[in-house]
Amino acid sequence: MSEVDPILLSVYARSFKSTTDEMSISLQKTTRSPILCEAKDFVTGIYDAEGNILEQTENLPILSFSLGPVCKYIVDYFGDKIYPGDVIFHNDVFSMGNQNNDVAVYKPIFLDDRVVAWSACKGHQADIGGAVAGGYNPNATEVWQEALRIPPVKVCERGELRKDVWDLIFANIRFDIVQHDLRAQMGSCVVGERCILRLLEKYGLECFETHKKALFEATRRMMEAEIGTIPNGEYRGESTIYFDGRNQDRHYQIRVKITVEDRHIKFDYTGTDAQSNAFVNGTYTSSASATILTFLQMVNPDIPHNQGMVEPIEIIIPEGTILNAAFPAATTYGNHLCPPNADAIARALAPVVPDRVTAGWNHLLCSLTTGVDPRKDDKYVDICFMGLKGGSGALNGVDGYDHIGMIDASGGLLDQDYEMFEQQTPHVLVKHEYLCDSAGAGQWRGGLGVETIFEIGSDNTQLVIFGDGDVEPAFGLLGGGKGSLNSISVRYPDGREHTPLPLDLLTGVPKGTVYHQVAGGGGGYGDPHKRRKNEVFEEVRNEVISVEAARDVYGVAVDRQILEIDQAATSLLRNGGG
Amino acid sequence: MTIRIGIDVGGTFTDFLVLRDDKDPQIFKVLSTPADPSIGLINGLTEIAASFDLKLGELATSIDTIVHGTTVTTNAVLTHGGARTGLLTTEGVRDVLQMRRGIREEQYNNRYTNVPPLVPRYLRRPIKGRLNYCGETLRALDVEGALEAIRVFKREGIEAVAICFMNSFANPQQEKEAAELVRTELPGAYLTVSSDFLPSIRFYDRVSSTVLNSYVGPKLSSYLDRLRFRLKEIEFGGILLLMQSNGGVMAPGVARDSPARTLLSGPAAGPGAGLGYVRLHGYEDCITVDMGGTSFDAALVRDGKPIVVTDGEINRYRIALPMLDIVTIGAGGGSIGWIDEGGLLRLGPQSAGADPGPVCYGKGGTLPTCTDADLILGYLDADFFAGGKIRLNKDAAAGAIEGHIARPLNMSVEEAAAGMYRVINTNMAQGVRQITVKRGFDPREFPLVAAGGAGPLHSCMICHELEIPMFIVPRESSIFCAAGMLMSDLQHDFVRSFVSVFEHIEWAQLNAVISEMMQEGAELLRQENIPEERRRFVLNLDCRYLKQYHEVSFPVALETVRRADATSISEAFHAEHLKMYGYSLEEEKAPVELINVRLRAVGDTEKPTFAEEACVGADPEDALKGRRAVYVPEERTLQDVAVYDGHRTRCGHNIPGPAIIEQVNTTLFISSSYDCLCDCYGSFVTYRKGQEDRLPVTLQEMKV
Repeated sequence: MSEVDPILLSVYARSFKSTTDEMSISLQKTTRSPILCEAKDFVTGIYDAEGNILEQTENLPILSFSLGPVCKYIVDYFGDKIYPGDVIFHNDVFSMGNQNNDVAVYKPIFLDDRVVAWSACKGHQADIGGAVAGGYNPNATEVWQEALRIPPVKVCERGELRKDVWDLIFANIRFDIVQHDLRAQMGSCVVGERCILRLLEKYGLECFETHKKALFEATRRMMEAEIGTIPNGEYRGESTIYFDGRNQDRHYQIRVKITVEDRHIKFDYTGTDAQSNAFVNGTYTSSASATILTFLQMVNPDIPHNQGMVEPIEIIIPEGTILNAAFPAATTYGNHLCPPNADAIARALAPVVPDRVTAGWNHLLCSLTTGVDPRKDDKYVDICFMGLKGGSGALNGVDGYDHIGMIDASGGLLDQDYEMFEQQTPHVLVKHEYLCDSAGAGQWRGGLGVETIFEIGSDNTQLVIFGDGDVEPAFGLLGGGKGSLNSISVRYPDGREHTPLPLDLLTGVPKGTVYHQVAGGGGGYGDPHKRRKNEVFEEVRNEVISVEAARDVYGVAVDRQILEIDQAATSLLRNGGG
Repeated sequence: MTIRIGIDVGGTFTDFLVLRDDKDPQIFKVLSTPADPSIGLINGLTEIAASFDLKLGELATSIDTIVHGTTVTTNAVLTHGGARTGLLTTEGVRDVLQMRRGIREEQYNNRYTNVPPLVPRYLRRPIKGRLNYCGETLRALDVEGALEAIRVFKREGIEAVAICFMNSFANPQQEKEAAELVRTELPGAYLTVSSDFLPSIRFYDRVSSTVLNSYVGPKLSSYLDRLRFRLKEIEFGGILLLMQSNGGVMAPGVARDSPARTLLSGPAAGPGAGLGYVRLHGYEDCITVDMGGTSFDAALVRDGKPIVVTDGEINRYRIALPMLDIVTIGAGGGSIGWIDEGGLLRLGPQSAGADPGPVCYGKGGTLPTCTDADLILGYLDADFFAGGKIRLNKDAAAGAIEGHIARPLNMSVEEAAAGMYRVINTNMAQGVRQITVKRGFDPREFPLVAAGGAGPLHSCMICHELEIPMFIVPRESSIFCAAGMLMSDLQHDFVRSFVSVFEHIEWAQLNAVISEMMQEGAELLRQENIPEERRRFVLNLDCRYLKQYHEVSFPVALETVRRADATSISEAFHAEHLKMYGYSLEEEKAPVELINVRLRAVGDTEKPTFAEEACVGADPEDALKGRRAVYVPEERTLQDVAVYDGHRTRCGHNIPGPAIIEQVNTTLFISSSYDCLCDCYGSFVTYRKGQEDRLPVTLQEMKV
């Protein structure tokens, strides 16, 4: 047993991180779907021989905490039939996958004849078969209507591509670019493998194993110390899912009981409503990812993301609930149950650790557009990432962050570059700007939402709409105001306006239709009258707070003509006069 | 007589390295004059002239080349002290500058805030007018709207304007029209037009880079005006060159148009200089650290090349120009010690700079700095600072440390000073971690080159903390970047878009484009007096698989393109793709697309040569200058320590730690865990006791 060298320990920790970062860069630079190369809707990771997390780069955290469990599943599934040069694909939500569209690639890393680690990455594919191009079939009631299921399957064995398997998979997927994007994912795994092998060559396996264990141990202690700062007790929170895509006015409650006991925290979702007969259902790993990523925002952000980090966290989600639907439910929407799940956790913990819990974040409302680009006579697919990101919730002492969106991504998901958007789709962008008065008011205001308008450039276009935040706005805390609501609408060339349901499918949309989306702001924190006057004034000048809201909500009177604070009127407003 | 001078203007000192024909390089150092750095520069030249017994004018007329690094633009961005800037942009997308594509770098940190935009929202004026994805006009420019925006700029006292419209990379016409209006209506304003400055696709990159350029433009222009005026006044007739962020140099005219290329002008010469010194000992990798009065720069050199990034940022502002990968933290001799709300001792990032400077300078500083602590701990000699030119006031330093640090923390002045020394060393070690450990490199495997006036006082403890077994302090360490500037080549980068699928490349046309760029490059080099035999051209092609969105850039011999050798070029592309991204599509014969042609025109400059001196033996007795009480960190006490004169040490001298080696402009402290060996170039090679095996091979023999 070699000894633990403290400097070497941080070299290992950082090497793991730079490995997954390098894998992430590789994937971004080589993929072809804008969902991957522009928005970075993917994660990369490395795992030990048993599938324990060594490190991850979590561009989209909601995808992240499924890679480890699936790695363990694969290790069990193939047993000793894993060979050098194997490559394994997986997306199946009934064997620990989080979402059908998120296809993972795993590559075992061998030293001599022994698996010593795994490199893996998972990306949201432009298409995964099923009834609707691009996925998100709002009418699905079972998994086969949503996607091609890929339980663990070797697409390469001993370095040889299995052409029959490859062709079977891609015969069931609409877009050619998906093949190339999965080749890019395989490349990214090779990049990870090279980094790990370099480390092993340099330091040897024994040293690697010793330091890996020490790293898990140190990380676990860090996480336990963080949990230790939360008072022991049982805390309960709830939130509501307003629409399942099929049954109007059918609501579902998420119920969480959080138990803190010294250095251990348990999230128990027993009592959450039963699963729906539509596609608004979570999988175990999508829901557990949501829980973990929400909790990570309440602790020291510098904790390394390895197995030691997740060990002190216990998550119980009974099968058959809307957060962990039983086979063969439709579940594509599951990732997007993260916002209400996060709300329930925030409500439970806000009274206990008020300085660490934010007001509500804006929820996801999103569209996925597919069609044929008449300029190239070629298919395109686009998720409107720039439009879906509203504001984050405010925290005691800090305003919410503008336009970083749903908590599932927490600022890791990039907007399309506008010029690349116009290259990759036939649309013309009309507007993408901060939305005035969208942020929840407060001594610390919520993050701003955005307004997005573009003109659709293809005929017979299909729009899949999914999300929520159209009924209940992001909540405020301790006197802070609510954020604004989400909405999507279209205006057809004949002038007709249409507001789709938050889970909906629009087909045959003609060229020239104008798409209009609003992503709302985050919730505010504390009494708006306590916000500094000059800060309110600056935001009036910058047109993100209106003169009316400044007066009515913040108690700051701004003279519209000369653009200055009316001090007398302000003190009257703030000191009880108005 | 021909003279070449490298000049590095830092926050505290302005450094000069003078090369005269075959004479030894000479070092000069004067205090910087931050309000107008050109004054300090002329002060230095005056001092140099005096030391050569020349009149300033006589010196000036015999200077062949001045290479100059400046932090004017860097400081403008770091302190938010750039020009009041307005942005004219396409209606509907004015917030992209502030949104930064909607990311939060620290995803799990809810206390992490956005950087304030360099142009506030009310000065980002939306203009109607629109081009489509390939540059065709969808809507003409709204001239009246543009004029109204310019009126707002006038009223708001705007000094600099950036223009960036959607899709202008494909058609500069509307930007040109708007630029004309700005030039007519706001003639004094500094103007950057995105389609001139960075005619490449990606709107956010272009907006951000264009705004940065305007934001720092007026500062750099007025500085260059003053500098050129002053140089003309003293009848300097040689060539003035400026250090660029990419490690090359450029003429001032180029810098005036693209000041954003100077954002790392100050530290950019460091990595090249470090490489110059370690190469003498057979290394191709090193860590360079440079600690001046205000800041600490760290960089990594791998495989003989400083690391260059093209997706860089400065202070989280995106800049899409090639620049060296350098980490800068606010730690220097002038860093101020203070106690935070939690009662913890902190050093920096605030600096006393050159004015008022540390308390011990007696120029009005009242807050205790790192230099004050160094003085108390005996690392500096009150009577021999800058060779005795600046007398340090030890009592004043002690008083400030007593009042601001020792008393609040209830400790002695020496303990407080030792605490300050330790805190700043830890901060700098973190900076070195950022460029090594954070990227998965073990710092212990790299030789470290320590530089800057204050660097060698602290480098031993930085290395101690990181367990780095060996570091080199070059003789010119105090003016390291100035030396590096004279080692840098002229570099002019050209890029042209040439979009074509590989099978259909028009080779004649491609070769014509390359020739055109070579002619432009040759013309610039000719103007810079570089004869033909010292000109080099390096060609890179940016290619990708059809339907990818990012390119792989790889070098191609000019001859290969002349021969129209498509096979070798596509093989090189597949190989590079495989190397970088873990796969290639060569077997599938996936179509490859050429996107950009890049040409770098290089003018080789004369490099300083390093004369080797003969080894005289290990005993440093002849260089012993005296002894004084110096704080030894490992023992946590002041001890009686030998002081050597660094100008009298000779090749082969072996100096055991703890020891002090004083030169006029810098002092090296060797702690009790290290020993030092003087090499034949006058550099100090310091190594961990008992780890002679980690000395460079070139020196191991000497040690035996």
